[in-house]
Amino acid sequence: MLSKSQARLFFWVGTVLFSGVFLWLTVDTIAQVPDQTHQQNMSAAVVRGKHIFDKNNCMGCHTIMGEGAYYAPELTKTYERRGEAWLKAFLPDPEAMYPNARRMVKYDFSEQDLDDLIAFFKWVGEMDLNGFPADPPLKALAEPAAASAAGAAGANVLAAAPAVYGQLCSACHQLGGTGNAVGPALDGVGQKYDAAWFNTWLADPQAVRPGTAMPRLPLSDADRDALANYLASLK
Amino acid sequence: MKYESQKVAYWFFAACMLLFSLQLVYGFIMGVAHMGYDTLHPWIPFNTARATHTNLLVVWLLCGFMGAAHYIIPEESGRELHSVKLAYIQLASLLVVGVIAIIGFHLNWWEGRKFLEIPRPLDYLVVVNILLFIYNIGMTVFRGRQFSTTGMVLYMGLVSAALLYLPGMVWFDSQTLDSYFRWWVVHLWVEGVWELIMGSILAFLLIKLTGVDREVIEKWLYVIVGLTFISGILGTGHHYYWIGAPKYWLAVGGFFSALEPLAFLAMALFAVAMYRKSGRSHPNKISLLWTIGCAILSFVGAGFLGFAHTLPQVNLYTHGTLVTAMHGHLAFWGAYAMIVMAIITYALPEMTGRKLWDNAMGHLAFWSSNIGMVSMTAAFAVAGVTQVYLERRMGLDFLQVQQELDVHFLGLVLAATLFTVGIILYIWNFIRFGLPSDEVRLKPLEEEDDERHVYAAQPA
Ligand code: HEM
Ligand code: HEM
Ligand SMILES: [Fe+2]
Repeated sequence: MLSKSQARLFFWVGTVLFSGVFLWLTVDTIAQVPDQTHQQNMSAAVVRGKHIFDKNNCMGCHTIMGEGAYYAPELTKTYERRGEAWLKAFLPDPEAMYPNARRMVKYDFSEQDLDDLIAFFKWVGEMDLNGFPADPPLKALAEPAAASAAGAAGANVLAAAPAVYGQLCSACHQLGGTGNAVGPALDGVGQKYDAAWFNTWLADPQAVRPGTAMPRLPLSDADRDALANYLASLK
Repeated sequence: MKYESQKVAYWFFAACMLLFSLQLVYGFIMGVAHMGYDTLHPWIPFNTARATHTNLLVVWLLCGFMGAAHYIIPEESGRELHSVKLAYIQLASLLVVGVIAIIGFHLNWWEGRKFLEIPRPLDYLVVVNILLFIYNIGMTVFRGRQFSTTGMVLYMGLVSAALLYLPGMVWFDSQTLDSYFRWWVVHLWVEGVWELIMGSILAFLLIKLTGVDREVIEKWLYVIVGLTFISGILGTGHHYYWIGAPKYWLAVGGFFSALEPLAFLAMALFAVAMYRKSGRSHPNKISLLWTIGCAILSFVGAGFLGFAHTLPQVNLYTHGTLVTAMHGHLAFWGAYAMIVMAIITYALPEMTGRKLWDNAMGHLAFWSSNIGMVSMTAAFAVAGVTQVYLERRMGLDFLQVQQELDVHFLGLVLAATLFTVGIILYIWNFIRFGLPSDEVRLKPLEEEDDERHVYAAQPA
């Protein structure tokens, strides 16, 4: 049977040996991380963005690279999923975009803060994370055949949409079966309103319908015109 | 109790009770927010509640470990504590730093680094504070009449925990390296050096409560902490799968972390075996209950539920979901909260001279809190597994899935209520013991009860 001094030896040898291996792997990891995370793209803006993320404890609600809290969405791929325009519209006033949903703090971000945060998200999103987040293997199950037929038709409708539609509007509205269901679906909305009405609506939703949950989006005049014409064409 | 100065442990334990109660309040705030009623949001947003909940947890557990050290180390070293005054100063200053940190969390003053939210300037105060503690306990150990394995393992655990706090204080620009070294604190604490602390407290309690030969118990203590480090150090790799670190961590972390449950299994088997072997029955039934319960539930929460999501194939989908919260709760509870509860229930009668060690309230506190915590774990499990399937495997939108989960948080809050009833009873019992008494006779209480028993194999 094992004696106490043998047990002590087992403890010390194991500890020293495996600490050594761990330190060696750490040195190797530090050498490889710059390549794997594209550190050459880690601009000053990215570092400032990380600092803003850190200073406000965003990880206290969200996860990033899967680390953080489980109250708000995973942010690793948010740049890819939402795009710059959406993030810029959303971050200054989150509850305007998601009324009656989980609440996010309204931060007083400057224009530069927004750019920095977006640069940070873009950089994190481009890292090689060994396959995380995975593509959902059962996605096909979640979209029955009928929906994918509608999706094919919807793809045609969407093909005609201005780029800004996909960046901003589809985050809340569905069209041809694509998009989220926060606001009403927009199929056939052109039968109800014309381009001029859409133009005033988009410029300031509250002025048209006080109390509406639809936020005022930061659109250039050209984008607003393009959207208004497009929506009017959805008959 | 053999030495007058062991009584300072009482105040560390009292601080534990206070901080623990506050932790639960913030747990309820989050549970209710998850149900969809985030009404406190303007004053206590979720991230504030969360940082407060987890930091209070860590601070009360550390307070508990310190209390345990102040109680155990004099006894194991065969002398009074180096300085009682220093111990009080250290406790008071720790509490001051803790309170400042908590207030800061409510004012957006923190670092957004999970579990290490305490802002950097306060980190330096924490370091000074811990140095005081290490010094005071160290002087007691090294000037002592005897070196015991239990005492040395406890002291080594505390010193290494202090050292491992330092990598968490380095600033990195890269999110990946930041995370890499954050785990040196978080993982190497709970799956490394804290297990030394837990193992040695467990050994101390088993020596006292079962009367089994110290040499036997301490031999197994070495085996257990050896297993801990052999698996746990490279097991850190299970946090390096998806953070931009090299791919070999999938193999290294997966293999070694899969071995980590062995240390917890060994602890459970060892505690149960020692209990069976014990020739006598110590009158402190409640402490025995917490001790054996801790050994078993730590295996379930840390070992079994940790293993359940540690292989990279599984972790790819469960990483950062409520499945993690499920494991986090039962692991912290079973391993660290329960060992602190166990040493408190052992030490209180010794320090106060009151023998509330087999009363109905104490038993009820144990069962209510444990059944409550196991049910909370089940509620997190149902919510977590559902989240994994809907969001991670079917690709539904995060917020849409969360709405489906609201109802399971009602379950969580109900279970948490049962848990909290148990904790209230525990604290009530704590209060009924009263303050440490000057009249306590400086010898183990059970000897008064059972004069026939010779205190076995206690090397002088
Ligand atoms: C008493 C010991 C333990 C405690 C207190 C504990 C606690 C925790 C906590 C709080 C987390 C969440 C960390 C975070 O995301 O920031 C976590 C994560 C994790 N733990 Fe443990 N744990 C323990 C032991 C173990 C063991 C023995 C294993 C493996 C067999 C394990 C496997 C894991 C894994 C794989 C994760 C990552 C989950 C994810 O990817 O989101 N844990 N643990
Ligand atoms: C009244 C009882 C409690 C309730 C209602 C509760 C609820 C919660 C909730 C809702 C979260 C946040 C999950 C998220 O990020 O979305 C959380 C996190 C956490 N709680 Fe509790 N909790 C309670 C008691 C405890 C106790 C007693 C412990 C330790 C023994 C504990 C340890 C933790 C840990 C370690 C985390 C972080 C988990 C992770 O990040 O994976 N909680 N708790
Ligand atoms: Fe870990």
